[in-house]
Amino acid sequence: MSVAAATPAIGKHKAPAVTADTERRRKIRTAFTFLAPSLVGVVLFLVIPVILVIILSLAQWNLLTPIKWVGFSNYANIFRYDQFGHSLIVTAYYVLLNIPVQTVVALGLALLLNNKLRGSAFVRVVAVLPFLATPVAMSVVWTWFFDPTNGIVNQLLAHVGITGPAWLSDSATAMPIVAFANIWQYAGYNMLFFLAGLQGIPPSLYEAASIDGAGRVAQFRRVTLPLLRPALLFVLVTGVIGSFQVFDTAYVLTDGGPGNATTVANLNIYNTAFQGFRIGEASAMSVILFLVILVITVAQFTYFNRRTTYEIA
Amino acid sequence: MRARTLARAAIAAAALVTLSGCAGWGISTGGSGSTVTLTYALWDPHEQIGYQASIDEFEKLHPDIKVNIENVPYGSYEQKITAEFITGGAPDLFWVNTPWLGTFVKDGILTNIAPLIKANHIDMSQYYPQLVALHSRNGAIYGLPKDWDTIAIYYNKNYFKKIGLQVPSNLSWSANGTGSFVNFLKQATTDTSGHNALSPQFDPGKVATYALGVYNDPQSGWGNYVAELGGKIIPYPYAPVTSLNTAAFQQGMSFLTDTLTNDHVIVPGAETGPNANGNNLLTLFTQGKVAMWEAGDWNTTTVKGTVSFPVGVTTLPIGPDGRVSVFNGLIDGLNSHTTHPKQAWELEQWLGSAASQKILGAGGYVWPAIKSLDPLFQQYWAKQGIDMSAFLTEAHGQVVNFPVSSGMGAALTQIANDLGPAWLGSTSVSSALKQASNDANYALKTGN
Amino acid sequence: MASVASVASSAASTPASTARTAPGPRRGLLRTGYYLVLLIIVIVFITPYLFSLFAAFKPLGDILAQSPARPPTSPTWANFKEIFTQDDFARYLGNTLMVTVILTAGQVIFSMMGAYAFARMDFPGRDALFWMYLATLMVPNVVTLVPMYVMFAKAGLLNTYWAIFLPYVLGVPQAVFLMRQNFMTIPKEVMEAARLDGCSESRILWRIVVPISKPIIITATLLAFVFGWNNFLWPLIVTNSNSLNVLSVGTANLNSNFADQWNLVLAASLVALIPMVILFAVFQKHIVRSISLTGINR
Repeated sequence: MSVAAATPAIGKHKAPAVTADTERRRKIRTAFTFLAPSLVGVVLFLVIPVILVIILSLAQWNLLTPIKWVGFSNYANIFRYDQFGHSLIVTAYYVLLNIPVQTVVALGLALLLNNKLRGSAFVRVVAVLPFLATPVAMSVVWTWFFDPTNGIVNQLLAHVGITGPAWLSDSATAMPIVAFANIWQYAGYNMLFFLAGLQGIPPSLYEAASIDGAGRVAQFRRVTLPLLRPALLFVLVTGVIGSFQVFDTAYVLTDGGPGNATTVANLNIYNTAFQGFRIGEASAMSVILFLVILVITVAQFTYFNRRTTYEIA
Repeated sequence: MRARTLARAAIAAAALVTLSGCAGWGISTGGSGSTVTLTYALWDPHEQIGYQASIDEFEKLHPDIKVNIENVPYGSYEQKITAEFITGGAPDLFWVNTPWLGTFVKDGILTNIAPLIKANHIDMSQYYPQLVALHSRNGAIYGLPKDWDTIAIYYNKNYFKKIGLQVPSNLSWSANGTGSFVNFLKQATTDTSGHNALSPQFDPGKVATYALGVYNDPQSGWGNYVAELGGKIIPYPYAPVTSLNTAAFQQGMSFLTDTLTNDHVIVPGAETGPNANGNNLLTLFTQGKVAMWEAGDWNTTTVKGTVSFPVGVTTLPIGPDGRVSVFNGLIDGLNSHTTHPKQAWELEQWLGSAASQKILGAGGYVWPAIKSLDPLFQQYWAKQGIDMSAFLTEAHGQVVNFPVSSGMGAALTQIANDLGPAWLGSTSVSSALKQASNDANYALKTGN
Repeated sequence: MASVASVASSAASTPASTARTAPGPRRGLLRTGYYLVLLIIVIVFITPYLFSLFAAFKPLGDILAQSPARPPTSPTWANFKEIFTQDDFARYLGNTLMVTVILTAGQVIFSMMGAYAFARMDFPGRDALFWMYLATLMVPNVVTLVPMYVMFAKAGLLNTYWAIFLPYVLGVPQAVFLMRQNFMTIPKEVMEAARLDGCSESRILWRIVVPISKPIIITATLLAFVFGWNNFLWPLIVTNSNSLNVLSVGTANLNSNFADQWNLVLAASLVALIPMVILFAVFQKHIVRSISLTGINR
């Protein structure tokens, strides 16, 4: 940098240009050195795998024998023979159980705890704690909680004279339990986003609304909800994307059972790829799941963007 | 402050890295000198005792070879061995059951030991010829036969004494539901008031003891009946399609799911276990709720240890094509990527030899593949009070090999899933067979 | 998304007792009812931890005979002793610690470097490359599972420690995005002045940017550590030998092999859960305050 200053005035025409150019090239090199590790990571572990999975979905392969190219037949076969359609339905069921309830609970917690009481501060912290729990370890605890004979849930129900079901072996209750585990873990985490949203609403808006004669409920509908839209969008989009990929809880709690009542898409992919060693079919499943998530995410964005623009207009 | 915590973390990480050992980082520590350690994988904890005894002898004869037995649970055995082979760490020698034999062969996991057999002048005629055929393909052979098993009928001696019935060994049946077998089964089924199924007062809603427990299984269950009608799961070894949609299959299955079920002489499919898989039958047999249990001889140790009554064994009934039983045997697969091929072959040879099979047969662990050693196993169980000659009669008679093909394991799972509803009475045998045929064909196709 | 982050960050930087939060129920009865509701919420979130803590210190007989709500009558370390010595959990703990530390260090440092490059360095293709990073944020984890397994298999890296942390140690787009947004708020003039003074980019990053950005870096570190510690599916498929197991995989295996031995299985769960509870207790303010700054999926 200070080379330009130190160079004597000899050859004044040439020196600055060469220096500025080398200077620029050096800067670019430094920039790329800084960028290199993460760039390598992104290309190697994100870009290339996406390309690779599409290519693999056109093959039948078990990593040991030569690859067989089969065109698009995997896409038909995973629905006909691997019950992937059923897995998608089951996963959608999970998302429908999980996301609405979790969002409502998170919003409820935020509304409830958005005050200056000391108790509220403590409860806010407690509600967030589960977010750090290892899902696998927590699922083991839930298996114990919901055990038909030794679990506290059925023991409590027995006290009031109800015989609790075999929660994880009954196809009616198995998936709700899987959803419950996820709601319990992430309601507090999502509550934080709603809290931030709530705290960003100017109190003057509420004052104006109440002067106009709006009651608490009307204020909630006309002031709070619309202004929470960004937080809501964030929670919903991230929640849906995450829920479609659920694995840990389904694997430990039910392992896809009873029957295949909780064989979510990711579990089916795992079984097909790493129990059956059918890389091609599993890749086709992954691509389909990707498309499903993509379409739903875009749909969510369009829905919310449209409504938000309407409100502003 | 942060620099210090970072430094501490780095030191801790470095310590853990050094403690974690070289293997996890992919660094091989080279040879440890003269002793070679082999890993040998199996799944049966009973037989493991016998194998340990045999291996103790082997290690005495080969002081430079140590063998570690690894017990891998049966439920995930095929998947575990395959995954370990992919990552390069599969055991040097491992049990191979016939459902996976074809897949392992096709994937190149097993060594073709035909040249080694020739070079060492091993006499293959000492083994059951069906076993040698089962594990050969186009001149290659993938393991030395070391045991065999087949299916017969365990029965409750006390129960038959109580009802005053002798258990004959030459019963016969035909597809239309007539024959001495069905008649005998009716005599052996009693309701809670003591009437057997031949009596007009028999109450099918109150059966106390069913005559026979037979179930949805290609080896221990319907497989034998279908074979006795000339039916085959696959038309020939390593076939890429099944031959399920045949009259033999239709009639064989119907005989069990319709005829015998409607006669109330066999345990209803739903009560034998999920998908009629027979999981409950040992319990029912122990409790005296079923008089006869059609099962493979590998269950003998469990039966002896569980039931409180003397047990007899009788042969399967004779069908239209004669008496045919499903015949199977394991081999020790030699890992084609083993780092100790010489030593692994030594172990393979030992386990296929008379010296080793004597130990396993005489200890009552398994029928030895070497024909002349069969009496040892039979004598062991005779001393325990169980007459195993029925199994021998069948083994020396007509047998059909367990089906072998690439993808067979997955195909058999599909077949079991699809035939289950027929056993539970919710679909007809023909539509169940059609579904099974489609799904199994797909499994064989993708396995091939 | 950007608006959420800005709203959240402003809320995060203002103290909790602004005029925007309600004062809370005033009348006595309402307040008691309110505290009752709070109590129920606390019970719901605490009991799984509490009861499994109790159970981990009870022998199996006590777990089966007593109510789970009962603290251990004669607490014992036997369960932990057994899983640490006979079931190899000491090794699993060590594995997890090592792999997570390596993953975290690499991910934070390399993401930080990339974030700085995107935020305050000029080079051709910068915007295009940043859009590529953003695009990959949309890729769900499940899509990369199978192809990455194939890549590692063919590279001979399966069943090694490398496989467990390699996909994450070189920096991830989420962390890069997170820190880049934060670095963008540092005035350009600060960097320019340092450059004129003769500082190298490296020095600017480590001596100037990092100290200012401590909160975001701590956040990124915490998130990386928690992710690494809790990761399950990838270590599950990529390791075969039990000696390489991380805690999550070891716990799942123990649970399937010893399903009815609640004393062991719950003790194992606790080994994975307790460190996270401690982490949370120490960094709680940080987590709660700055979590809203993230755009991270679960």
